[in-house]
Amino acid sequence: MTAKTLVRPPAAPDTSPRPRPSSWVWAWVCAGALSVAGSLLVVVGYLGAGLFSGKVDWLALLAGASWNPADSVFGGLAMIYGSAVVCLIALVLAVPVGWAGAIALTEYLPPRLAKPLRMSVELLAAVPSIVYGLIGILAVRPLIAWIGDVPGGDSLLAAGVVLAVMITPTVVAVSVDALSAVPDRYREAAYSLGLTRREVVRSAVLPQARQGMRAAVLLGLARALGEAIAVFLVVGRADGRLPTSFGGLVDSLVHPGQTLTTKLAGPEPVLAGTSGPYFAAICGLGLVLLALVALATVWGTRRSSGSGSGLGRDRQHRSGRMRGELDKLVRVLRLGALLLPGALLVAMLAVLATRGSAAFSPSFWYTSASGSAGGGVSDQILGTLILITTTGLISLPLGFGAGILLGVHASARGARVLQTVTVVLGGTPTILLGLAGFVIVCSAMGWGRSWLAGALVLVPVVVPVVALTTAGRVSGMPPETTESAMALGLSRAQYIRSVVVPYAWPATVTGLLLGLARAAGETAPLLFTATVFFGAPAVPSGIVNAPVQALPTHIFTLSQDSGDPQAVSQAWGSAMVLVIITAVLLSVAVALRNRFEGERWTT
Amino acid sequence: MSRTMESPSQPQDLTSGSARSAGLVSRRRFAYLASGAVLVASLATACADAEAGSGKALQASGSTTVAPVAADAAEALKAQGLNITVATQGGSAGGISQLGAGQIDIALSSKPIADADRSASPKTDFVETQIGADAVGVIITKQVADAGVKNLTVDQVKGLFEGKITNWKEIGGPDLPVFVYDKEPGRGTREVLDKYLYHGEKPPPPPNSDNFAIVGGNLETRNKLESTPGAVAPLSTGFVEGRDKLAVVTLDGIAPSSENVATGKYPMSRPLYMVTNGQPKDTAKKFIDYILSEKGQALLPKHGYLTLKQIGK
Repeated sequence: MTAKTLVRPPAAPDTSPRPRPSSWVWAWVCAGALSVAGSLLVVVGYLGAGLFSGKVDWLALLAGASWNPADSVFGGLAMIYGSAVVCLIALVLAVPVGWAGAIALTEYLPPRLAKPLRMSVELLAAVPSIVYGLIGILAVRPLIAWIGDVPGGDSLLAAGVVLAVMITPTVVAVSVDALSAVPDRYREAAYSLGLTRREVVRSAVLPQARQGMRAAVLLGLARALGEAIAVFLVVGRADGRLPTSFGGLVDSLVHPGQTLTTKLAGPEPVLAGTSGPYFAAICGLGLVLLALVALATVWGTRRSSGSGSGLGRDRQHRSGRMRGELDKLVRVLRLGALLLPGALLVAMLAVLATRGSAAFSPSFWYTSASGSAGGGVSDQILGTLILITTTGLISLPLGFGAGILLGVHASARGARVLQTVTVVLGGTPTILLGLAGFVIVCSAMGWGRSWLAGALVLVPVVVPVVALTTAGRVSGMPPETTESAMALGLSRAQYIRSVVVPYAWPATVTGLLLGLARAAGETAPLLFTATVFFGAPAVPSGIVNAPVQALPTHIFTLSQDSGDPQAVSQAWGSAMVLVIITAVLLSVAVALRNRFEGERWTT
Repeated sequence: MSRTMESPSQPQDLTSGSARSAGLVSRRRFAYLASGAVLVASLATACADAEAGSGKALQASGSTTVAPVAADAAEALKAQGLNITVATQGGSAGGISQLGAGQIDIALSSKPIADADRSASPKTDFVETQIGADAVGVIITKQVADAGVKNLTVDQVKGLFEGKITNWKEIGGPDLPVFVYDKEPGRGTREVLDKYLYHGEKPPPPPNSDNFAIVGGNLETRNKLESTPGAVAPLSTGFVEGRDKLAVVTLDGIAPSSENVATGKYPMSRPLYMVTNGQPKDTAKKFIDYILSEKGQALLPKHGYLTLKQIGK
């Protein structure tokens, strides 16, 4: 026995030849890449075709203050102003809190506390925007009405506050990633010079993490710019007056306004038909929105170009008389900043748990809705699951293919273009996807409202996430692996099939789950393409004219009737179910990633 | 398997042993996935082919005023195996434009088809079937009504919605700023108000006022009215019944009672329609016939609307 163990057991004769040259690999990765480029082309093409269907007076559209379709006056300045103002409010509130919170998380808290907190922030970042909209209607609107003495509370300020709450977790999560990427040797070196913790953070850590923290702001901005539903519910949607003085500016904050996204989410795109100057003006606004979001996203995800750290150095450090006191003060401020998202999480969970008590009753989960606000949400849960499962099945191969191509050719210029296209598609405001889907799939192809149309509209939401996580994993492959594969004389296709694919798939599954967690909460595009007010069967029996009911739409409908206690309770219950579904998807994704790629959180 | 890959001393292992089997397993998995996706896609196409034209569920979409009645009727007909969906995206005008585009079978409308709608979809033969009537009220908050605003003249309503009257004390109410909620363009409710105020002339653009916001469906309108002091909005009176925070005013002394609506005395009444492309047939006919039947008509008062009988039709 002992002697035998030294001998290698005779290997079974290798009957299969070397991997066959597999042309399908190329067909597949190219199909994936084409799907990404194609989706973006469809959106841009839809908007572009709209532009050419009627004359667009760009000067009026960008600088005109009056929007009055009845007189064919299309000035979009009020919407551009509204978008700018709500995003600015959101950033002013979210960025200081988010940055300070991220620093507190990585630099001040012991890992024992930081770990669960980071996880919670991740969960907050994935909470569907319709839930934030619900909070906006029931909490922020009355709050603004009370503080600002504004009738009703519908205002740019309310929209800005809701957006701030929405993007703070994003800012924290991305900043935390940037901060934890700073190697510990920088900190150690700084401490050994006798600097206080504040000084270590300021002079050693922040200069290294600046790029990533700036990216956090831009990604937050992109999310704020593209958000439709949460803003729609609280902004008032009046085209509003443009301020002429500083006082007017402040005054306009507490009055109803309009943003680019709320204009597009309203009835006007449906009323504008599919050609003519009205439709062209709507498409023009869509294009402006797409351009702004693309700019923020591309800039935010741009790889650091080495231009790095100028800002911190030209400021001289103040001499150290009050160092200890200052250190303590900053510490309190930073930990305090962490309290805000923490309090938010606790408050949100408390509200969901107390007001959404319907969700604790088992029958709420497995009975159908009856009437406007009775019964359970089983049909809505099933509809949501059908939508995300279909979306996942379509997105997985496409996103995986695109991601592999991106990762394997990370240096080529073509891949850089594809990367940018993917990032832009990932940031595309979903309301634009919904409108394009509505016109192309539901109208031109004659599908009507259909679950498959809804899934197709969600595919561009998920594919970029899958592609980018896959590409990230592939580009992190140990170089020896590639070298030995090349040394064996494997063709590119064989290398991809036998080496890259097995290495990358855990990341792909993670990406898929993250993408689906986001897709599960999408509301605006589904309203236009896949869901109805009443009467959709639990399981659609076909494709054409086969709508479903879904949780986000259900919450949207119920939230409009927030004067009715039963509707409110149903809305919160449904919100809680939706949050649970998202949380499950996200937790599985994070667990998977931690298992295959080591501890890391950020989406 | 990556560990095997990293040992350059045994390059032959790449195509045998663990690397290969792991590769095979995952390859097979992806083959399954890929074929699954293809299967789904082909099924989808097959279903689409099989069902294009045959039309499964009857699709109705449009007015949020008519939608509750349509939903109740659809619920009642479900027992007979009729499958009907009701959507409300875009209100009456949304329904009419979707019918014109052939996306739905029935447009729910709280306004008659206009010449502009016909010229926008020349291929569609719009057939209106009236199912009842409804009174649109000028709705104010209880607080304002209690302080003395019980009646409004046409000029006062015009003043309110054009932003010329900015405080309720100007028309005998409390010292409270007016907050106007106007309906989205294309909503039936708004067109009734426009007709009352401007008699078919083109309404002026929205007031150049800060106390002005847009609302969509009826539920949203009611909710925002209730939560805004000093608010005024046009809203179907059916949605105000039993709401103790809201009040309906009389217009030029005429209350929106069923007699006044039936005789046409009340200026802001409107017919409720089911609109089809051509005469209703098959499922659409069954659906509309049900609503016109006694049982169906009983659904209208439930939501605060008037039956055809009540308005003498």
